[in-house]
Amino acid sequence: MLKAVVGHSNDPDSLPAITEVLEQCEQALAGTEPQAGVLFAAIDFDHALILQEIHQKYPEIQLIGGTTDGEISSVLGFEQDSLTLILFSADKITFRTGIGVGISQDLPKAIATALEQATLGHQESIELCLTVPDSLTTSGVLVLESLNKALEQTFGKKVAVFGGMTADQWEFQQNYQFCGTKVYSDAIPILLISGEILFAHGIASGWYPIGKKGVVTKADLNVVYEIDHKPALDFYHYYLDGLAPSQEYPLAVFDTEDVDYYIRASSGTYDVQTGSITFFGDVPEGAIVQITETTQDRILAASKASMEQALAKYPGKEPVAALYFSCASRKQILGSRTKEEYTLTQTCLTNSLPSCGFYTNGEISPLPQQTNSCYHNETFITLLLGES
Amino acid sequence: MELERLEIPDTPDTLIRVQQLEKENRILKKKLERSEKTCLELEQTNQRKEALLRKIIQELEDSQKEVEEKRQLEITLGELKQTQSQLINAEKMSSLGQLVAGVAHEINNPVNFIHGNISHIQNYSQSLLELIHLYQQYYPNPALTIQEKAEEIDLEFLQSDLLKVLGSMKLGTDRIRQIVLSLRNFSRMDESDFKPVDIHEGLDSTLLILQHRLKSKSSEIQVVRHYGNLPKIECYPGQLNQVFMNILSNALDAIEEQNNTLPAQGKNHNLGAITISTSVISLDNTDWAEIAIADNGLGIPEAIREKIFNPFFTTKPIGKGTGMGMAISYQIITKKHNGNLICTSTPGIGTQFVVRIPVHQSACRL
Ligand SMILES: Nc1ncnc2c1ncn2[C@@H]1O[C@H](COP(=O)(O)OP(=O)(O)OP(=O)(O)O)[C@@H](O)[C@H]1O
Ligand SMILES: [Mg+2]
Repeated sequence: MLKAVVGHSNDPDSLPAITEVLEQCEQALAGTEPQAGVLFAAIDFDHALILQEIHQKYPEIQLIGGTTDGEISSVLGFEQDSLTLILFSADKITFRTGIGVGISQDLPKAIATALEQATLGHQESIELCLTVPDSLTTSGVLVLESLNKALEQTFGKKVAVFGGMTADQWEFQQNYQFCGTKVYSDAIPILLISGEILFAHGIASGWYPIGKKGVVTKADLNVVYEIDHKPALDFYHYYLDGLAPSQEYPLAVFDTEDVDYYIRASSGTYDVQTGSITFFGDVPEGAIVQITETTQDRILAASKASMEQALAKYPGKEPVAALYFSCASRKQILGSRTKEEYTLTQTCLTNSLPSCGFYTNGEISPLPQQTNSCYHNETFITLLLGES
Repeated sequence: MELERLEIPDTPDTLIRVQQLEKENRILKKKLERSEKTCLELEQTNQRKEALLRKIIQELEDSQKEVEEKRQLEITLGELKQTQSQLINAEKMSSLGQLVAGVAHEINNPVNFIHGNISHIQNYSQSLLELIHLYQQYYPNPALTIQEKAEEIDLEFLQSDLLKVLGSMKLGTDRIRQIVLSLRNFSRMDESDFKPVDIHEGLDSTLLILQHRLKSKSSEIQVVRHYGNLPKIECYPGQLNQVFMNILSNALDAIEEQNNTLPAQGKNHNLGAITISTSVISLDNTDWAEIAIADNGLGIPEAIREKIFNPFFTTKPIGKGTGMGMAISYQIITKKHNGNLICTSTPGIGTQFVVRIPVHQSACRL
């Protein structure tokens, strides 16, 4: 039987925080041994110490995690500067971690290494992949493309990937990834899950295009140089009255003259000299773009919709746990109403559900009706987990 | 109250409480640190939102202005088209007027010359006939050659017919003089000021000019005149005649077209008719001359009725209609005469145009 427990502490000191988290988990586990865990930690903690403490308690644990821009759990709801850990124990489900480093240098190699490690020890076919890659050293789209390809090559089928890119509280300087007892950056930790796992997910954003459309006339992967043959920065400056582009005002990207669009947020990096803007995901040349905008109510309505979607699709009787990946921009706009995101998802549930999540610099999940995972911005992703 | 220094007992309970207080303290400190940063970030987010909305509002205003400018352009275009039609009108009128006036002038002299001399010929002939009578009276048996000549030329008949022929020649020249007068009347477009004129005269001249179309070989079109008791109307007579001309030729076209569409057997039964009624009516303390011209032609379909006053709108084949007739007429009546021109029509039954102009133009110039 799959069991999930959650610990969450808002103590800013690393040792008391992890001690509190582990106490909560231990109590909820009631004697069962956890096989795997996912850790979300604010940037200011002593992460190495925390990982050590966890392993001291559970030496065999398969653990991944990373730094965040806010944490969510069924214990404290939404918190900032906190530490939250979800632990899984199951007898018919296998969890294995892997880590790939230097994703900005050799992404395929990093992913191959991580997969090799995480594949060991599985008896049954891989059902699910969780990951929390670095958000600042390479393009999220590239990471997902490579990972999807590698997964398909290794396992001969598409594997659903979920997760979020690690964050650093809107500083966009340095973020960290965890695997086992080690703290990394420029890395991709993955957790492969096989066996009798059941899952379903929901995804929704709440951002809508506004203003004039432009055509991307010069771009290289996730760096946009020109829109309508003018510096990309001009496009933003025009609407933001000279203010710099930021994640809360992402671009809607229309592939063709379609009504459907996906969203690309600026990473906060831009170049005044060339007028280029760096995005968290790739924006193809020729794409039609438009600035998007939202309101707090629209964001919150989307969070709820995400949970409703996931519940409606859940194949089993009742989910055992939930993971949330919410975009840091949502928090940026919601301000003190950020806590309502979690509270609203709970209004869809009849029973309490152990859950854990974080505010990320880029969400990862398939689109509602697909298995191929992609990289998203500005969304709220709900992943429900259970056992068949 | 005196503050006492508390001795904290070292029990596990208090230890936990102290730990909790310490933790809360740490959290508060962290929250304080963070709140400033959060505040700043929210401010920036807000600033961006404000800027974005301001820009969007501006864009909306701009596009509204564009719409307004477009409307202005459309109005200007409409005015331009009207000016153009007026220019064409002036051009058309002046060249037509000049031609008509020229022709009338050229014909006028020889006709008057002929007309004047016919009276002389009548007198001379009368005298000659009287002389012949006297000869016949005093020489009842003239020489054989004279008798033969008298028979050859049928003197009897010649005597009775000569004056009749001269009488009809006089009628003919009278008629030519009348037409020339009409032409000159019709082309009175040089007049630059309002003139009180008899509208009926204008209508009659116009009908006279259109005579050839009223009485063609294949059909005859009846003209019914219900002329009321009209005073002299202040107008530009030449221009007003042009309006009658346009309305009447359209009526003739419409009747002809109606006849062409009728089956052959019906031809005799459908008699084309144009009815002209004039009257004075009083509206808003002003006397108006009302001239209604109705035909029993093919009528105007509802869908195009409001277009007929547009410049260049025509349903007639290329070369026949320019589509300017009604546009010009409308300008002349509404703009030049402060009147109105109304069209009512029932397809298959006929059409009526009502021209209304003030009897006194001074009443309109306030
Ligand atoms: N009495 C009428 N009966 C039916 N249709 C009419 C009548 N008077 C005008 N029309 C319609 O209005 C149109 C416009 O008339 P208008 O006199 O302006 O132009 P036109 O007769 O076509 O050309 P022109 O410039 O040579 O007069 C005509 O083509 C005809 O379709
Ligand atoms: Mg006409």
